[in-house]
Amino acid sequence: MAETRLAFKAGRAFRRGNTNFVDSDPTKGAILLQNGEDGLLHFIWKNRTNNDAEEDLILFPGDATFQKVEQSAWGRTYVLKFSSSNQRHFFWMQDADGSRDEEFVGNVNRLLADPSIVPIWYSAGYNPNNQASTSSAPAASSSTPAASQRPGDYQPTPEELARIRSIVTSLGTNAGAGLAASSAAQHEISLTDVLTPANLRPLFASHPELVQSLFPHLPPDLPHPPTAETLQQVVASPQFRAAVRNLDMALRTGLLGELVRTLGLPAEAGTGVEPFLRALQDQARREENGEGSGDQMDTD
Amino acid sequence: MSGDDDSSGWQLTESDPGVFTELLKTLGVPLVVDDLYSLDAAVLSEFQPLHALIFLFKWVSTGSAEPSIGGQYDPDFPGFFAHQVVNNACATLAVMNAIANIPGLQMGPQLSDLFAFTVGMDPQTSGMAITSSDWLREAHNALSPPSAISLDGLDLPKTSEDAYHFIVYIPYAGSLYELDGLKQNPVRHGSYSEAGEGWVAKAREVIEARIGTYPPGSIEFSLLAVHEDPLPRLREQLAQVQSAGRHVDANELIVKIATEDSKRERWAFENSLRRHNYLGFIHALLLGMAKAGTLDAAKEGAKKALQERIEKRKKGEAMDED
Repeated sequence: MAETRLAFKAGRAFRRGNTNFVDSDPTKGAILLQNGEDGLLHFIWKNRTNNDAEEDLILFPGDATFQKVEQSAWGRTYVLKFSSSNQRHFFWMQDADGSRDEEFVGNVNRLLADPSIVPIWYSAGYNPNNQASTSSAPAASSSTPAASQRPGDYQPTPEELARIRSIVTSLGTNAGAGLAASSAAQHEISLTDVLTPANLRPLFASHPELVQSLFPHLPPDLPHPPTAETLQQVVASPQFRAAVRNLDMALRTGLLGELVRTLGLPAEAGTGVEPFLRALQDQARREENGEGSGDQMDTD
Repeated sequence: MSGDDDSSGWQLTESDPGVFTELLKTLGVPLVVDDLYSLDAAVLSEFQPLHALIFLFKWVSTGSAEPSIGGQYDPDFPGFFAHQVVNNACATLAVMNAIANIPGLQMGPQLSDLFAFTVGMDPQTSGMAITSSDWLREAHNALSPPSAISLDGLDLPKTSEDAYHFIVYIPYAGSLYELDGLKQNPVRHGSYSEAGEGWVAKAREVIEARIGTYPPGSIEFSLLAVHEDPLPRLREQLAQVQSAGRHVDANELIVKIATEDSKRERWAFENSLRRHNYLGFIHALLLGMAKAGTLDAAKEGAKKALQERIEKRKKGEAMDED
């Protein structure tokens, strides 16, 4: 099943004859970027009135870019260009509110460069580009070279499917600006729901050797030497919960490649919560098979 | 008002009595801070001698330049008053506004030098001077989590940073004063009677009037008491009653001391949790879960929780629309 990575409201625009004029078509539509069943990235324009995908372009990593048409007086016209051909496809933003255009465009380009990345979404109402003091939008530094992961390696998971459903649902309605984006950011499981006291308490009870091995990771200046009960207090404490929430948020930026390396994990583990947990499971398996924890194994 | 990025290296700290008490200890000030759950005379008498009350609440900008209800600006306030010029420093700044005005208070040399330095400065400059102090900033930051994961520069959405505002109530020269770092001047609420509870009675009246101006349930607030550390006094009393052979009184004091000690221990525990970097711990926990085979089930649980959130959001949205 195809997996939608990103979607936003946009209409098409067409070149007037052979001139350089571009006329926008008023038909309501949406641009969707999907990881198709064929393992390739699809750039789809969907008619929001009849829900037909009227345009379906297959994109190879690094071949296409989505750029603002600077000559457009209106300012919200964009063009999809290919480095391998002279094809041009014009679009215009249809969300009434243009404040998130750059955010969508940034994510389109990140996905065009590397279909495996996790898009970076700002929370509703927050756009660093609106703040004079902020330097630049998040750089595409998370993009690992496109060759390292073929689009076909991508496995859609149930919550990603839920994300698609939610995006498609929101496309059918006249829901508020940026709904697709804000829901996409929230449609990944949260570390805070994984590391709950309810999940950890029975683990401590059934695995005393784990309890012992966790002590060195506790604060070194506790008033008393730690016990199993200390662990329970720590995992229920607001400070620990905040640290988990922080890591969760940081992972959602997809930019933690460097940090996770310090844990002996491959850089992909820093691209999101799911990749992080998957990499940890691999690491646990390797350690159980007697391989060292600092082992930088090739995940291929 | 300070801008969004104007934290000047001051980190957000928790508004917790244990944090304030640790800060005072670092500053060489023999006072402690406790949560107040009530303004009843009986509760307040527990904390005597009480030097200041800190009222903190979720701050909603009113844009009003008026002094708070029942008070008057006192531009000639002779004591110490600093404006809040840096975000995140508000808690420490409130503590400064409180302790700088306690006559004869013992404090470390760095802090007394800093206060001496600000004499004659206007509130804005005092605020600048206080928040420019590297050692004070370090003392303040000491209890915020270490930034192994620096979220700076990642353009993450800002959470409710600096949502709390701190207002200090102190007795000064026979009047009750309100020091609010976001107001132009200290606010004088009139004189108080030394009889009975003294300034605390006046403070109760003023704070209750203030709370009464907000619609019920509309603000979250708490009150902190800045008071003398009761432990030395309790130990002294214990020695006295023990030598006098008053066992019943002695037992009562022993219980009080034990309660106080266990509270300090809890603070010490929480403060060490605050200073800790949990990355290694989180990693070890998840590895432990993976090896014990419980990680997959936990992920499933997280997916369910996510689904529930989505459902909730959808319902919320459906209602919000139009």
